[in-house]
Amino acid sequence: MNAAEELKQSFPESVTGVGLQTNKPLAVIKKEDLLMIAGKVKEMGFDNLSVVTGIDYVDHFEVIYNFFSYNNKQNLALKVILERENPAVDSLFSLYKVADWLERETYDLVGIRFSGHPNLVRILLPDGWEGHPLRKDYDMNKEQWVTIGEDGEDIVSTDGSGILRRK
Amino acid sequence: METEQLLLNMGPVHPSTHGVLRFKLRMDGEIIRDCQVVMGYLHRGTEKLGEMKTYLQFVPYTDRLDYIAAMPNNYAYVKAVEELAGIEVPERAEFIRVLCMELNRVVNHLVFLGSLLLDLGASTPIMYGFREREKALQLFEMLCGARMTFNYIKPGGVREDLPEGFIPKLNEFMKDMEKRVDDYEQLINGNEIFLLRMKNIGVISAEEAVNYGMTGPSLRGSGVKYDIRRLEPYSIYPDLDFKVCSYPEGDSYARYMVRIDEMRESLHILRQVADNMPPGKAATTQRYGIAPETGIPSSVMSYFPRIFTPPPGEVYSRIEAPKGELGFYVVSDGTTKPYRIKIRSPSFCNLVAIPSMIVGLKIPDLIAAFGTIDVVLGDVDR
Amino acid sequence: MEKGGFRVDPVTIDTTKIKTEKKEPETALEKLEDTGLISTLLAARERKGLVLLTTIDQVFNWARLSSLWPVTSGLACCAIEMMAVAMAHHDIARFGMEIFRASPRQADLMFVAGTVTKRMAPRVKLLYEMMAEPKWVISVGSCANTGGPYHESYCVLKGVDNIIPVDVYIPGCPPRPEAWLYGVIQLREKIKNEGYGAKWGLNK
Repeated sequence: MNAAEELKQSFPESVTGVGLQTNKPLAVIKKEDLLMIAGKVKEMGFDNLSVVTGIDYVDHFEVIYNFFSYNNKQNLALKVILERENPAVDSLFSLYKVADWLERETYDLVGIRFSGHPNLVRILLPDGWEGHPLRKDYDMNKEQWVTIGEDGEDIVSTDGSGILRRK
Repeated sequence: METEQLLLNMGPVHPSTHGVLRFKLRMDGEIIRDCQVVMGYLHRGTEKLGEMKTYLQFVPYTDRLDYIAAMPNNYAYVKAVEELAGIEVPERAEFIRVLCMELNRVVNHLVFLGSLLLDLGASTPIMYGFREREKALQLFEMLCGARMTFNYIKPGGVREDLPEGFIPKLNEFMKDMEKRVDDYEQLINGNEIFLLRMKNIGVISAEEAVNYGMTGPSLRGSGVKYDIRRLEPYSIYPDLDFKVCSYPEGDSYARYMVRIDEMRESLHILRQVADNMPPGKAATTQRYGIAPETGIPSSVMSYFPRIFTPPPGEVYSRIEAPKGELGFYVVSDGTTKPYRIKIRSPSFCNLVAIPSMIVGLKIPDLIAAFGTIDVVLGDVDR
Repeated sequence: MEKGGFRVDPVTIDTTKIKTEKKEPETALEKLEDTGLISTLLAARERKGLVLLTTIDQVFNWARLSSLWPVTSGLACCAIEMMAVAMAHHDIARFGMEIFRASPRQADLMFVAGTVTKRMAPRVKLLYEMMAEPKWVISVGSCANTGGPYHESYCVLKGVDNIIPVDVYIPGCPPRPEAWLYGVIQLREKIKNEGYGAKWGLNK
């Protein structure tokens, strides 16, 4: 019995599906119960949160968490399905500190909000950037420019005259 | 004594940040009270570009993530795609791949050694490090013509077979290199100043390091004997003899020592691979997917699947890159282009721990601790 | 003359040897003659004195090109090749350029080595503006030249010449150290031919 099936046995109501992510056990869970199940996952010995991936499927979003257990040499993936409008899910920061940046990155590029995150701001793109690039409806032709403001902070605008050379 | 706290900006252009990283430090006199890492100055949108390219076209972009050690990046992505599409790889190709990756691990640790010591104020070791690196790069040039961005490992094998005279040259390099590693240790390890700068600086415990998501040599410096090559063996690693180096102290010196030992282990692996190189093809001979109509006779075209459509599905595949766990999350929707590529880069996750490591220390200690984490900004920002 | 040292007679100009016919100078040579330089030379040769004859431009250009100090502004992959160029094997010190300055105030050359993202662009521009005149820029690698492989990206500047003037472009991804040195030689040629002297063909 793999870890996903174990989860299914413990929480038959929260785990809506069990499968394989090519070769790793995968459990699809309700988004309300993520924090509770992640707590259980940590108890099961999965001490490393490898990656948080947000995927835009046009009509819905998916967030995938990949866990790894150093002691048991086991893999486990959790999948949460979110609605298209205002996608939000609980933050795992209280359990895994690496989730801090991984969730910020997912928020930055995919636009999924993590409630309970202590500092949910953009991490790779500057504050004030419009749109989330890894969404499928992101406008790639839109030009946004950055200038330096007070204390070295970035100011984003659509007007590039402050930075471009006059030719 | 109560003093006013000072906000100090370090970067994004600073010689010791190894690229364009910025620290926002809150200083109380000389003591760092709070550290905030600001990144994204090299964010190039690699993941989005991956959605616009075919599977094969994305391989060159992986070179430019961790540009000091590009071979493992190639391999990590190709491994994910091969798992997704079910492409078989001949044994000789796997041997060549492991050879490339281990050689690149040596190169990475040489650059680490040089730049760390340069940051600490010693300008000779970087000359030594780059001297040996230049020799290794000549080997890479023999293989694929490129020095840094190889584009060598492809789905189904490697781009070219080993050239004539490669193995003797490699043996020469290894023979030279083994002596050099001893030289470095003699030169650096006992140095009083070096020890003062490294010992008990940037300490992180094993539990914390795991919780912060640190991987690779940085984690092994905290005493966690975790190496994906052993825990989740891939390629030909199960058949190879090497040991996982780790030190229990968790300070900068331990992380440095892990890398020195790893260089030796990599040379040991290289020797095994070079001695046991099997004959055969260096790329798959099966036809996958659709070969494009180019008019070139098939004897000239190698058998790489140029355009292929993996079945819909998703895969997370990871390897032990020189800096830690490098993973690619690839989602296929059954077309010729990936639906989503997510890169789990070791530098990004190792950097999370920096603020907790250096609070209460001084700025020179930040440089030392940051140097031993060994990040590359292309890998952090992607 | 004393042993171990040497003495140079001060050059004095014999005014009687200078032609006094006044004619408007037309060709470059006549213009030069008009400055009195040639007669100075002739007078000096007669007295067997030591004279170094040059133009001010030439001296300045020679001084400038012989010790170009680059600013450390590595951005991405090309920065690693920049380190390789500076190290013993390729040895940029042959051009008097081994001193990479951390402060732009002390530098007169900037290698834009790597991808310039939209977020980094104002910093690169600021760095350029902080450098003292005269200053030169070498754009290294496809990314800095045109955006390169990241041309389609949403957050990459399509060529650093959009924000600062560039003197020499070095292609490659990343350029080999040899290409890098060739680019440096091109810049030296360019500096050699700066100023009015070059327009008159005197800097050759």
